[in-house]
Amino acid sequence: MTDVERNRVVTTVALERLDPRSRAAARGWSDLTIRNMFIIPTIVFLIVFNIFPLLYSLGYSFTDFRASVSAPANFVGLDNYQRLLSDPNIWRNFTVTAKYVIVSVGGQMIVGFGVALLLNRSFPFKGFVTTLLLLPMMMSMAVVGLFWKLLYDPSWGIINYALGLGRFDWLSNPDMALYAVAITDIWMWSPFVMLLSLAGLSAVPKHLYEAAAIDRASNWYTFTHITLPLVSPLLLIALIFRTMEAFKSFDLPFIMSGQPTTEVVAIRLYKMAFQEWQTGLSCALAYIMLIVVIAITNIYVKYLNRVKER
Amino acid sequence: MRIKLTGMLAGIGLALSSGTSVFAQELTIFWAEWDPANYLQELVNEYTAETGVTVRVETTPWADFQTKAFAEFNAHGDAYDMVVGDSQWLGAGSEGGHYVDLTEFFEEHKIAETFVPATVSAYAEYPKASGKYWAVPTEGDANGWAYRKDWFEDPEEMAAFKEKYGYDLDVPKDYQQLRDIAEFFHRPDEGRYGIALYTDNSYDGLIMGVEQTIFTYGGELGDYESFKVQDITNSPENVEALEMYRELYQFTPPNWGKVFFLENNQAITEGLAAMSMNYFAFFPALANPATNPNADATGYFVNPPGPTGAQHAALGGQGLSIVSYSQNQEEAFKFLEWFIQEDVQKKWAELGGYTCHAAVLESEEFRNATPFNEAFYQSMQIVKDFWAVPEYAELLTQMNNRVYPYVVGGDGTAKDALDGLAADWEETFTRYGRLN
Amino acid sequence: MAAVKTPRQKVANQLAIAAVIVIAIIFLAPIYWIGSTAFKPRALATTVPPTVLFQPEVTPFVKLFTRRVQLNRPVEPEAYEAAPWWEKRIYDGGERVLRVGEDVQLSGYPDRFLNSLIIAVTSTLLAVSMGTLTAYGFSRFRVAGEQDWLFFILSTRMLPPVVVAIPMFLMYRVVGMTDTHIGLIILYTAFNLSFSVWLMKGFIDEIPKEYEEAALVDGYTRMQAFFKIVLPEAATGIAATAVFCFITAWNEYAFALMLTNRDAQTAPPFIPAQVGSGLTDWTTIAAGTFLFLLPVAIFTFLLRNHLLRGMSFGAIRK
Repeated sequence: MTDVERNRVVTTVALERLDPRSRAAARGWSDLTIRNMFIIPTIVFLIVFNIFPLLYSLGYSFTDFRASVSAPANFVGLDNYQRLLSDPNIWRNFTVTAKYVIVSVGGQMIVGFGVALLLNRSFPFKGFVTTLLLLPMMMSMAVVGLFWKLLYDPSWGIINYALGLGRFDWLSNPDMALYAVAITDIWMWSPFVMLLSLAGLSAVPKHLYEAAAIDRASNWYTFTHITLPLVSPLLLIALIFRTMEAFKSFDLPFIMSGQPTTEVVAIRLYKMAFQEWQTGLSCALAYIMLIVVIAITNIYVKYLNRVKER
Repeated sequence: MRIKLTGMLAGIGLALSSGTSVFAQELTIFWAEWDPANYLQELVNEYTAETGVTVRVETTPWADFQTKAFAEFNAHGDAYDMVVGDSQWLGAGSEGGHYVDLTEFFEEHKIAETFVPATVSAYAEYPKASGKYWAVPTEGDANGWAYRKDWFEDPEEMAAFKEKYGYDLDVPKDYQQLRDIAEFFHRPDEGRYGIALYTDNSYDGLIMGVEQTIFTYGGELGDYESFKVQDITNSPENVEALEMYRELYQFTPPNWGKVFFLENNQAITEGLAAMSMNYFAFFPALANPATNPNADATGYFVNPPGPTGAQHAALGGQGLSIVSYSQNQEEAFKFLEWFIQEDVQKKWAELGGYTCHAAVLESEEFRNATPFNEAFYQSMQIVKDFWAVPEYAELLTQMNNRVYPYVVGGDGTAKDALDGLAADWEETFTRYGRLN
Repeated sequence: MAAVKTPRQKVANQLAIAAVIVIAIIFLAPIYWIGSTAFKPRALATTVPPTVLFQPEVTPFVKLFTRRVQLNRPVEPEAYEAAPWWEKRIYDGGERVLRVGEDVQLSGYPDRFLNSLIIAVTSTLLAVSMGTLTAYGFSRFRVAGEQDWLFFILSTRMLPPVVVAIPMFLMYRVVGMTDTHIGLIILYTAFNLSFSVWLMKGFIDEIPKEYEEAALVDGYTRMQAFFKIVLPEAATGIAATAVFCFITAWNEYAFALMLTNRDAQTAPPFIPAQVGSGLTDWTTIAAGTFLFLLPVAIFTFLLRNHLLRGMSFGAIRK
């Protein structure tokens, strides 16, 4: 299928999308009914269990409410937001989070896509090996964090032993801790990126490569002009999901390290909400965090739609 | 949608039906997941045998004990009839209305006299010196030290130590000696290190180690009655104490930047450190040859005095409180009456619980029961605690934020850290209207 | 790409396969370490240098399933002799089993494992079926503001669990749903729905519409066409979605930690907490982890062929 043909199919599908009011199927339920039956429950469900709690906490974010005492909540206007935004510690938390997201998601994209490129050929037990590589992401973050502490241990961990690093200190070293946690995250979630990349790579039509080979195109040219553009929508989706998850990540850094250099926003939020019980203040912080994630994701999704339409 | 609704209704119905079928003959005590909770379960089995009332000790891992308990309190839940809560919870528990006032119970049963005074004040009274009580001291605990007797008693080591420092190698008599010994045994090339300290900043680990040093240097965290902190929190004694803690941190094993009781016990069992700070409640694992290959060579000592001769130990342990939202308060009071009897407390101590009952604690029998009970007995006389106000957790976070980068990361100076902390705490107390 | 032509490409191919083997070893080493620790005697879990070869034993699993207490005095020889083999293993480790009356107390693990199964399976079924229906609706019918709705659905996954946990906790309290299976099922379903809708929409978009239209012409109703034509075509996507939803629900930690106490508590918050005796017992934690990995690993292996083909998100143009 040439590009032109492909575009035409895409547009026709879009145009031919049925108007639910049309009686395309004269028997049974009307399409309108079916559409509503299929979509509305999900929307209602998500509103009740996601939006309602959000409104609830939005309300609290303007109060000095503490869930731990019986005193009623007092309206304090924007005080909470002001206090948070003028707190250098919070800014540091956001900087740490940004660094963590960049290092760990960046690493996952490189490792995941790289491994997918290597795997994208036929060899014995391919399906089996690929699935084995998915094992890290099937585990619980809390347990992974705990065990990687054991692996990183300078006295009896296998990492230093295998790499001959002696007593190199990973997690207690303020400069290293963030990278150590990010490496664990990369280990755990590269398989996710790999899986999406493989799906993308396996769908690149063979004849495109054949044509490139006939034209004696260099490998690099083939990669940048055929492989990458065709895989990029899936890579972007992997990027969206991984960024969202990394931004929220809590378990791994919380369990593995106590460094100020690894205190991501979610940890600060957890302490504020469930150790200090500053409910109002923590709701405000949660909102700030949410706005940042939505903004980032929105940019990604816009970009994704553009890539898809290209 | 219909399926989901039915499911939800079924769920609600299930929850309601299980909520109404509360047996009066069952009490639930909530505690953290550790051995003392299991000992308590064994103890209360006898109560069940006597009265037919089933008592269940529910446990949750230490890491989320505080969160779980307060989540339940804050929701006014009646899942737990009693809770064995941390001493710092007293403020939040009493001011928040989560705990039942036990003042009358205390007067009626003369608990303030039959239990060790330091424990009554620490685990039961809030505000301090008010004569209002909220919990029965249950598991006494304090921070002590374990050490490698075999290393200390090795003739070659003793001679080398004497040569270097000019006095005999023995259990440290003050913090300077503690430091010297830590330095002496710190030999990274041999895989041996001087000392194991608390450094975990996710909750109160690091703070317990630091506050103990501060108290021992004659300092205070602040004035617990007037809430004055300037020039107390950042006093010269406190600065000196914090500098000492930082110095001691230099002699810890590698990767000792987020450790608490588990790792500190491991420092002894794995032969990593010469001395290790820990709560007495965790020492049974060190005295047990099956879990500690060095069990016979492990000794215990009380936190040594500081330069001024002041000697204190950071308080651990918990008191048993009745939850206000319990449907079985009457039964719970009956249980408490049973629990405070001397012979029950004796049995509690035999099982492995750390009783706070004065007569039992002082008995020779108790003090000789384990290699560390004597040190425990002495430590309980000198315990001091963190703030117990409802906002104590905020104070913990602020202290962690100020102190941790200095101790573990070596950032800035002790003076800067404590000046900053005094300012933070002043701001917090002002915000809560405790300070004008 | 598969058809190897020149010798140079052949070498490159072999190099790539060699690299895959090396990478697989690196990736699987930590998993092997966890798995092997689950069968180690406790003292061998933290040795210098690390122990690779050892005589495997099942003691960690015995410990995993029992509630134990530290021995504070040596066990009497008669009691030891009279004990069954598994109890001897516990005595050997310096602990004894907690009993109420004569009953051996089980640890929380079996119950929590069962809870995990109930909650993960139910919420996966719900998330996948609702997700498939919704994806079909968005894929085949005109919906006003479709992009916005899809973004809204995605945005529900951006909420940090801590944010949702506070109001959910208070809300569940009112309706009596804290610490119930249904409470967690609903949360996990909500959490997974966004992923499910996105994945399924991409998949259904790829199924040629002509198939259904032909069926409609043949006299099928739209519902029949959906069930008989679209669903079988979408099986691969459904399988892939199910794997992901199951993995997420199976391992979820934060909500389980905050919203359950005992009746509905799942295993992830429980496994890292085997520290009753004042020492980290890596072998027992590893045993719990190992058993807990089995169901999800088996499920994934069974559906592995669908997984690879199903992860397209509709981003591939055929």
